[in-house]
Amino acid sequence: MNTFSKYKLQRQIGMVLTYAGIGVALIFFLFPFVWILTTSLKGNEDYFTFPPVWIPMEPSLVHYYRLFTHGNGWLYFKNSLAISSLSMLAALLFSVPTAYSIARFRFGGSLFSNFLLLLRTMPAIALVIPIYVLYSKLGMTNNYFGLILLYTVFYIPFAVWLMIGFIRDVPKEIEEAALIDGCSRLQALLRVVIPIIVPGLAVVALFAFITTWNEFLFAVILTGSETKTMMVLVASYTSGSPTDTFYGEASASVVLGIIPAFFVAFALQRYLVKGLALGAVKG
Amino acid sequence: MSIARHQIIRLGVFVMALSMLMGNMATQHGEAAKPYEGTTVKVIVNAEFVKYAMTLIEKELFDKHGIKLEVEVIPGEAFVTKTLLEFTSGRSPWDLIMFTPTYMADYFRHFEPLEPFIKKLNLRLDLDDIAKEYQISNMYWGGTLYAMPLDGDIHTMFYNKVAFERPENKQKFKEKYGYDLAPPQTWKQWDDQAAFFTGWGWDGSDHKLFGAGASYKENNFSFNWWRQRFFVYGGQYFDENMKPLLNTKPGIRALQEMVDTIQYYPPGVLLFEAEEPKTMLIKGEVPMLVSWTSTGKRVGDPNQSLIVDKAGFGMLPGHQVDGKIIRASPNTGGRSWAISKYSKVKDATAVVLEFVSSPEQSLKIVMDPKTIMDPWRNSHFTSEQFRSAFPGAGEYLDSIKESFGQTVPGVLIPGGSEYQLRIAEMVSRALQKSMTPKEALDQAVEEWDKITKRRGLKKQQELWLQQMAAMKETGVTFRPELADK
Amino acid sequence: MLKKTLSSRREAYFFASPALFLIVAFVIFPLMYSFYLTFQNYDLAIGPPSEFVGLENYTEMLDDKRFWRSWINTFTIIFPSITLQLLLGLGIALLLNRIPRGKTFITSLLIIPAMVSPASAAMVWRMLFGVKYGGINNALMQVGLLDVYFDWFATPARAIMSIVMVEVWHNTSFMMIVLLAGLQSIPQDLYEAGEVDGASTWQKFWYITLPLLKFTMIVALLIRMIDLTKIFGLIYLLTFGGPAGSTQTVAFSTYLSGFQDFRISYASALSYVIVVGVFILTLIFQKVSRFREGEET
Repeated sequence: MNTFSKYKLQRQIGMVLTYAGIGVALIFFLFPFVWILTTSLKGNEDYFTFPPVWIPMEPSLVHYYRLFTHGNGWLYFKNSLAISSLSMLAALLFSVPTAYSIARFRFGGSLFSNFLLLLRTMPAIALVIPIYVLYSKLGMTNNYFGLILLYTVFYIPFAVWLMIGFIRDVPKEIEEAALIDGCSRLQALLRVVIPIIVPGLAVVALFAFITTWNEFLFAVILTGSETKTMMVLVASYTSGSPTDTFYGEASASVVLGIIPAFFVAFALQRYLVKGLALGAVKG
Repeated sequence: MSIARHQIIRLGVFVMALSMLMGNMATQHGEAAKPYEGTTVKVIVNAEFVKYAMTLIEKELFDKHGIKLEVEVIPGEAFVTKTLLEFTSGRSPWDLIMFTPTYMADYFRHFEPLEPFIKKLNLRLDLDDIAKEYQISNMYWGGTLYAMPLDGDIHTMFYNKVAFERPENKQKFKEKYGYDLAPPQTWKQWDDQAAFFTGWGWDGSDHKLFGAGASYKENNFSFNWWRQRFFVYGGQYFDENMKPLLNTKPGIRALQEMVDTIQYYPPGVLLFEAEEPKTMLIKGEVPMLVSWTSTGKRVGDPNQSLIVDKAGFGMLPGHQVDGKIIRASPNTGGRSWAISKYSKVKDATAVVLEFVSSPEQSLKIVMDPKTIMDPWRNSHFTSEQFRSAFPGAGEYLDSIKESFGQTVPGVLIPGGSEYQLRIAEMVSRALQKSMTPKEALDQAVEEWDKITKRRGLKKQQELWLQQMAAMKETGVTFRPELADK
Repeated sequence: MLKKTLSSRREAYFFASPALFLIVAFVIFPLMYSFYLTFQNYDLAIGPPSEFVGLENYTEMLDDKRFWRSWINTFTIIFPSITLQLLLGLGIALLLNRIPRGKTFITSLLIIPAMVSPASAAMVWRMLFGVKYGGINNALMQVGLLDVYFDWFATPARAIMSIVMVEVWHNTSFMMIVLLAGLQSIPQDLYEAGEVDGASTWQKFWYITLPLLKFTMIVALLIRMIDLTKIFGLIYLLTFGGPAGSTQTVAFSTYLSGFQDFRISYASALSYVIVVGVFILTLIFQKVSRFREGEET
């Protein structure tokens, strides 16, 4: 009786500590979001005082308003939305067949994975100028198409890498059954493989969306006045004192810029642990 | 009676006809006065607050000329790269270009000289309303006029009168240093006072306050603060053979003084850009600051400043030589407007340029604290409106006007910004105490030689000799003996 | 059989060709162009045409103190970051693995920081670290731990610590997810067998969990390390390489050469050297980890 209850106590303490630990982690990882949100809703009196006002008594949307009227906030948000969605679709479109090719036909061998690694190590700077020159010659520096194309192309290697793992998990027999039934490879891909790897597609799509939404170096260089993205807006507040005079617009733009992160995080949670485990470890 | 009625009717018809005719003429004249009606001029600027500045004038511009403005912002560093990329490929989506004159050597070949437009369109640029030294460094290149200023970046001094006028402070200071406490005229006085004010409540409170403010960040700021001292100790950038003179006595003395006194400044000073020390000044945490003239607007803005009626203004400290004080207010480049060579609406752009830099419109821009633009026209300094904008404004504007006569330009030859960045980096590293001043300046000289070699010694020398001569005319030459005084 | 192989090859090309074409046109081609540029002296301020200068850019690099220092700066940021990310990620993954319900919900909350862009993360923390009005200093002052103001980036040591903190906040979730997946693939019966043998919690961890996680940890660490060598957004928005150049990482110094000095050719040359450097780094890393793995068996 004694040892049993001691054991139970130990387990209970263990559980309490576990939850406490997780609680601390949650606070650490999430408090900045709460802070930036409340900051964006503060008026001047609340922001510049001490003792600090943590939650404004009268939250105001004035910074957002200013962002959308003077700051073209809505345009930037729209641009980011369009560019990321289209890049996501394009990335899927191009990477699924390629991944299929590598997974099933062993196309390219290990050359491809080495190339992926190489691409990952290259700092963006090396590519910005040549791409800019190329794009200006093609007249693509101020439209959606140019940036979408670039993002798609840069994302394809990673998408393919993820997808290979997912495709390899689909048992060959199912496909072969379809082929024997008279399907072409393409039909087999479309009708058999893709429905099975939908979770994998979701993971790749969500990553594509969020990666392109978050990108900032190429966005600054390759966008013009009509096509600028949210990240360019966020970055534009670095000079001129974001902690000071422009705290309102800066924090509001950050809040707008991180909205997709929340959506993607929640959408991903269903697929992520399974999906990444498959892709990361096996790829 | 009936004859009178006829006459009245005739008169009435005549008057109507006349007024219709005049009305017609008026409309025609009005239309003739708006030849650019419906044109859109695309403007490119490098910060949101510059775009804001344009909102102050765009309505009147439209009313007067019927021209619409489309302002695009490319933030920060990417600005020069992106604009140069566009220009070197022979295009530009923009007509009116805001640029920093530090890069004039790299940009000028993409701009239209302004003289032909002045003649053709009868533009009024009021050039004699601008200080000569300023014109040379911010508007001309190789004798040709390319740009009109937007922002007059020089440094003056701002201080908190409370610190200097409290009897207790005065007494303590006299006891410790042996002379009367007054806003510093020389760097020695500034350094003494920075030491004096550090660590206690010189405003009568029990807060631990700081001795002085400055910006020592290495993407150029530290260079600007260093050259305030370098030149008054007799320094110069190069000699006539393109040998950099940074590591001579004037340079080392200037840097050594900065290193010895850095503990009197707020701890983050190595990361400070322009606005942080200004905020500290107006919140009463540092007693004095040498900085851009736009500080004055923040000082006088009751919405943010706690020292509105306690602020003093003056010229920055200098060096006493033979009974006179010589000063070197750094001209940090500022901002100017130019017309893109690749624009399709050059005439309309020239008209906009005239409008935005006109005395009346530019006054609006430099008076508004949110634009962070500094005054640059003589008429700005004498404007009654500006002089009564806040307590001490008259004093403030006088200090700027006087300072314009004692400015030193940056490095105005090709690669200018690169030279400046290298010396700024080295100054910052010495301030960080990872190198001695001599080591830092020696390495700066090495880096400068590399740049000169890369750009071509002969070419650089030719252009440098021109700048050296222009500086000589304003009294700035290499006089290392001053560093010993 | 032969016919089938041939048609397979053709089909393989067919499937892969669109992506391949794009990659060649928009990645390989620009890469080759930028490599070609490294042998020229293309300077944006001077404009085209540029001249052939052979290996001058590379020889100049040998003498470039700023570049060599940036490697040191990069490592001082990378190593604490991946260590902390590993420890924290593992710790949280272990805790998460133990709770019966709510795992997916809490996980999704914890990965939000990793989904946020470096630019956003940097801006949030820059404002949080704000000297006068930032959340952190305000909290510390309110609690009384802070007296005079405190600048989190004032000295090189502090700046690096702060950047490491932001980086750990930003990307620990990645580690956590990967390790959680790894943990969940460890069969439960191994633990049960261990318990039967009387193993303590610590022993179970050390002898069962760790060895089975090793491969996953190594892959995750490698990926993080490579990503960290490119760290740029955080530096650009938090410190801009300061104070006094102490946080200039390799990618950042390349940026400075390209965008501040306009020396496109030189910046490209630096980039290629960085790629080589990182490649060497991964080789070393793989050797070391394989060596230790070999030791175990």
